[in-house]
Amino acid sequence: MTPDSITPEMFAKLVTLAALELTPEESEYLRTELNHQLAAVKELSEIQLAEDVQPSLHGLDCRGSAPRADTWNPFPNPQEILDQAPDSEGGYFRVPDFSRGEVSQ
Amino acid sequence: MKTYEIVIGLETHIQLNTTSKIFCSCKADSWGAEPNTNICPVCSGLPGVLPVLNVETVRKGALLAAAMHAEINPVSYFDRKNYFYPDLPKGYQITQFDEPIGKGGYMDLQMPDGTSRRVRIHKLHLEEDAGKTKIEDGERLVDFNRCGVPLVEMVTEPDLRSAEEAAQYLTQLRQLLRWIGVSEADMERGHLRCDANVSIREAGSTVLNTKTEIKNVNSIDAVRLAIIEESKRQIEAVEAGQRIQSYTLDWDADTGTLRKMRSKETEADYRYFREPDLLPVVLSAEEIAEVIASLPELPIERRARFIQDYQLSAYDADILTSERSLSDYYEESVRLFGGAAKVVSNWMMNDLSRLMNDTGKSAAELRLRPIDLAEIIRMVEGGKINPATGKSLLGKVEAGGGKPAEIVEREGLGLIADEDALSGQIAAIIAESPAEVESFRAGKESLLGWFVGQVMRRTGGKADPKRTRELLLEQLKR
Amino acid sequence: MSSIRLSARQIAQKVRAGELSALNVLEDHLRQIKAVDGVPGSLQNASLDPAEEGKVHAFIEVSTGLARQQAEKVQTMVQRGEDPGPLAGVPVSIKDIFCVKGTTTTAASRILYNFRPPYTATTVERLEKAGALIIGKTNLDEFTYGSSSESSAFQPHPNNPWNTQRVTGGSSGGSAASVAAREAPLSLGTDTGGSIRQPAAFCGVVGLKPSYGRTSRYGLIAFGSSLDCPGPLARDVSDAALMLQVLAGLDPKDSTSALAPVPDYLAALQEGVRGMRIGLSRDYDHITYPDTLTGEMSVQSIQPEMNSAVRDVAEVLARLGAEIVEDVPMPNARHGIPTYFVISRVEAASNLHRFDGVKYGYRTSAPVRGLSELYRATRAEGFGLQPKLRILMGMYVSAAQHSAQYYQKALRVRSMIRSDFELAFDPQGVYRLDALLTPTTPTTAFRRSEVMGDSVLMQYSDQMTVAGNHAGIPAVSIPAGLDPLGLPIGVQFFGMDFREDLILRAAYAYEQATENADWRRAIPQALRESEVSA
Repeated sequence: MTPDSITPEMFAKLVTLAALELTPEESEYLRTELNHQLAAVKELSEIQLAEDVQPSLHGLDCRGSAPRADTWNPFPNPQEILDQAPDSEGGYFRVPDFSRGEVSQ
Repeated sequence: MKTYEIVIGLETHIQLNTTSKIFCSCKADSWGAEPNTNICPVCSGLPGVLPVLNVETVRKGALLAAAMHAEINPVSYFDRKNYFYPDLPKGYQITQFDEPIGKGGYMDLQMPDGTSRRVRIHKLHLEEDAGKTKIEDGERLVDFNRCGVPLVEMVTEPDLRSAEEAAQYLTQLRQLLRWIGVSEADMERGHLRCDANVSIREAGSTVLNTKTEIKNVNSIDAVRLAIIEESKRQIEAVEAGQRIQSYTLDWDADTGTLRKMRSKETEADYRYFREPDLLPVVLSAEEIAEVIASLPELPIERRARFIQDYQLSAYDADILTSERSLSDYYEESVRLFGGAAKVVSNWMMNDLSRLMNDTGKSAAELRLRPIDLAEIIRMVEGGKINPATGKSLLGKVEAGGGKPAEIVEREGLGLIADEDALSGQIAAIIAESPAEVESFRAGKESLLGWFVGQVMRRTGGKADPKRTRELLLEQLKR
Repeated sequence: MSSIRLSARQIAQKVRAGELSALNVLEDHLRQIKAVDGVPGSLQNASLDPAEEGKVHAFIEVSTGLARQQAEKVQTMVQRGEDPGPLAGVPVSIKDIFCVKGTTTTAASRILYNFRPPYTATTVERLEKAGALIIGKTNLDEFTYGSSSESSAFQPHPNNPWNTQRVTGGSSGGSAASVAAREAPLSLGTDTGGSIRQPAAFCGVVGLKPSYGRTSRYGLIAFGSSLDCPGPLARDVSDAALMLQVLAGLDPKDSTSALAPVPDYLAALQEGVRGMRIGLSRDYDHITYPDTLTGEMSVQSIQPEMNSAVRDVAEVLARLGAEIVEDVPMPNARHGIPTYFVISRVEAASNLHRFDGVKYGYRTSAPVRGLSELYRATRAEGFGLQPKLRILMGMYVSAAQHSAQYYQKALRVRSMIRSDFELAFDPQGVYRLDALLTPTTPTTAFRRSEVMGDSVLMQYSDQMTVAGNHAGIPAVSIPAGLDPLGLPIGVQFFGMDFREDLILRAAYAYEQATENADWRRAIPQALRESEVSA
């Protein structure tokens, strides 16, 4: 096992942060795979890089279009966006409220 | 009991007054719109969409940074702040984290006692607003209209020392935002929102103690009251031997109370990282110079200049720099009038401000332009019309347009200074008032005023009072 | 003759000339889909007829109605003497990761099982404007997270038309299979770590990953936003060039789309390879693979036919006048997968945040006590194992306390991977390459279920391709023979920024020179039956 290995406790915390919940079988599989992946990325920390190596955000030097001019151009059918909602009410998307004690992040 | 000092830092969210949202071309301002009608795939976070930066938000953000004497970052970046909340449709907010548009800076506050106080700015960053939710029957109803509205978040250093100073900061910030034209800064509409970080320490100490964060203090009164409440609570707690804990508190403006929202220790890790869907915001040295050059004289600078150059009182200078179009109006009127600046300020502080109140217009919106005001003042000062006529002219020009001199001419409002016209009236009055003439000639010179009054009555108030007096003396002493 | 045997160029040319009706083209392809595809991928295909085992299952949805409308529009334009565009009447299948108004767009995930996008992706819009017929949405790994297309929530997953017991590769597996099985001459795929090229290689078709920003990402449901590239899959190089021509160009809706001018790709093909400098690298004739318990890396050989195919292609190009440059060092290639494990997961975890049951798609029907529970239950039920794994990995390596060690480091290693290519392509440098030639994959198509579940081994399928995504450069995979089992072998050309024209030229030259090779006459297994009957 590598020192980075994720314990079941750390894993449970991660699952909560990710807004997931897992069956025991899923947890076992995913935690194992996660540890395997962390083993596979271990070599990154061993790579010696010169000080001046900068992070690369897109690989190549992105030169895109100029930023957008400040003009109003309304989307023609906002109702179609609302139509996708699993639940809506009076033009609003509807969800249950946070229950008492639930941590909203 | 020991003496305590309050240490306050403010985080303000400033809604920029652009036409469209920061990353899509929906309208920036949804005031009064039905829920979810000012949305598009981008701001409602549909799968597959990408943000495109509105260039005007960068210009306005940089202008605000310049007004705060902040360093405008030549290369700033957008980052993702990841968290789950129903008003955040993408599950992350696009904001600026470690390389914001503006770093450092300060704002000098003019305090009511005449002193000035420097509040350092930590940073200014651009970000998108979230939507709104409301709770009804235990359910949350979500409206995305506000998603993507451009905001500048501006954070001060903990440099404010009282609730009053915090209120002054907000008042003067609001004035400044309107002055430089980056925000309507209407707190009732949420254009300027505020969170306050409050801690206390023993007077004379320089340590920073654990602070609490008060959210949703969205009026100047609320800031003042919430800080007073919270500092009182902290002092009582410390006096009772308790430790201050790092809470987030919610200010309930209706009841005037603070409510604990959550303990800050459990604060989420937002896992910030560079927004890969946007390119860095690059401002060349020329572009930065252009922004700085476009910055108008700031209110605090103009106030000082008005006191110095125009010999205004601090009070008059405050009023006449409270809003930029009023201030510009004043200076233009002074220039066109050419006489004493103080005379113009008297007119503006009294009669013009009444006119603005009555019509509900700002100086910029008045039909009566500085050139008209200057002309009216000149006519009054030059004895062509009396002050009452001058005042009535303000309303006439505003209501019907036209040049003041033409109105005076057309309506016969000018003063009668003509010797023949006045002499006839005076001769008649002297003839009709032998008793008064006799008393005057016997030495009761105070009767001169009575004679002037008679002339005014006969001329409908249009007699030039100076000339009238001269002619009366001439004839009475004859 | 059925139009399924025609190239996209031939179809468009005949439709524009009025020699062939777009409606007939559509019917031919719908007939082929009916013959070879079997049941479409669905959430409810619990038990299947054994005969389905031999089918291709490239599609999740066949958009007959939409395609028919488009075909009618093309025909109307032809009749009026108007130009219906360079892809007039050409059926194009679309990986079901692109939003297309009028289709359900699922990303092969339960969490979007019913999502009807109110807008269309820029790339698809361009295809539609060019006269293409959007014939359907193809299956893929859930959210593109895989290299076999087996992880789709919509089963059955696609099978390799050359051997339906083998995988198509992925994640654009349905796209590659649909082209190989002649269900569409062209398909629109996406490539984040190799997801166009690897399935193209496995299915014996051409797959092009353009330079980052050459094709718009607007409307593509994001995986790794700094790596994702939409691109064409086609049966030959010219068709890929034709499709790229339609897709490429600046999109004001995508800030990262490139300003660089778009050359005439089809014209470029004719320029030949004489004088081109084609590199070979020993860093691409093996893979470096980690022990998943210790993290120790070891060198492992790849299927020998892969290396010999690269040699064969190099020889052909040399005969045509290209200069072969041996031993080009690519020392950072081995870091490609570890770097990818970090960067792509961080971006993926964030990109999946929006799927929470509030706005669209799946919402749990289980009773919940509050909103947080709704989030958790919806995501638990809506996401399959691979998205869950990527969320957890991405969250772990971007957590405040780990970011410097993993994410920030990976971004800098990405620069090193890029620098290998910069050195190789530098016109003033030692190597001055126009293209680097490598195998596309370490092996030919593997057996179904063979790798599925081993997330590390599956990811290493992309070892040969992923560096191109880190570097942002273009790369094209083309068929270069069959292995002893009759499975297609792919080789790949990497090129320099926005020089898709150069790698297409090299690919085309090889294709033309081997036009009559025996292996090109082989017919995929899934087609043999229908070929005989046709």
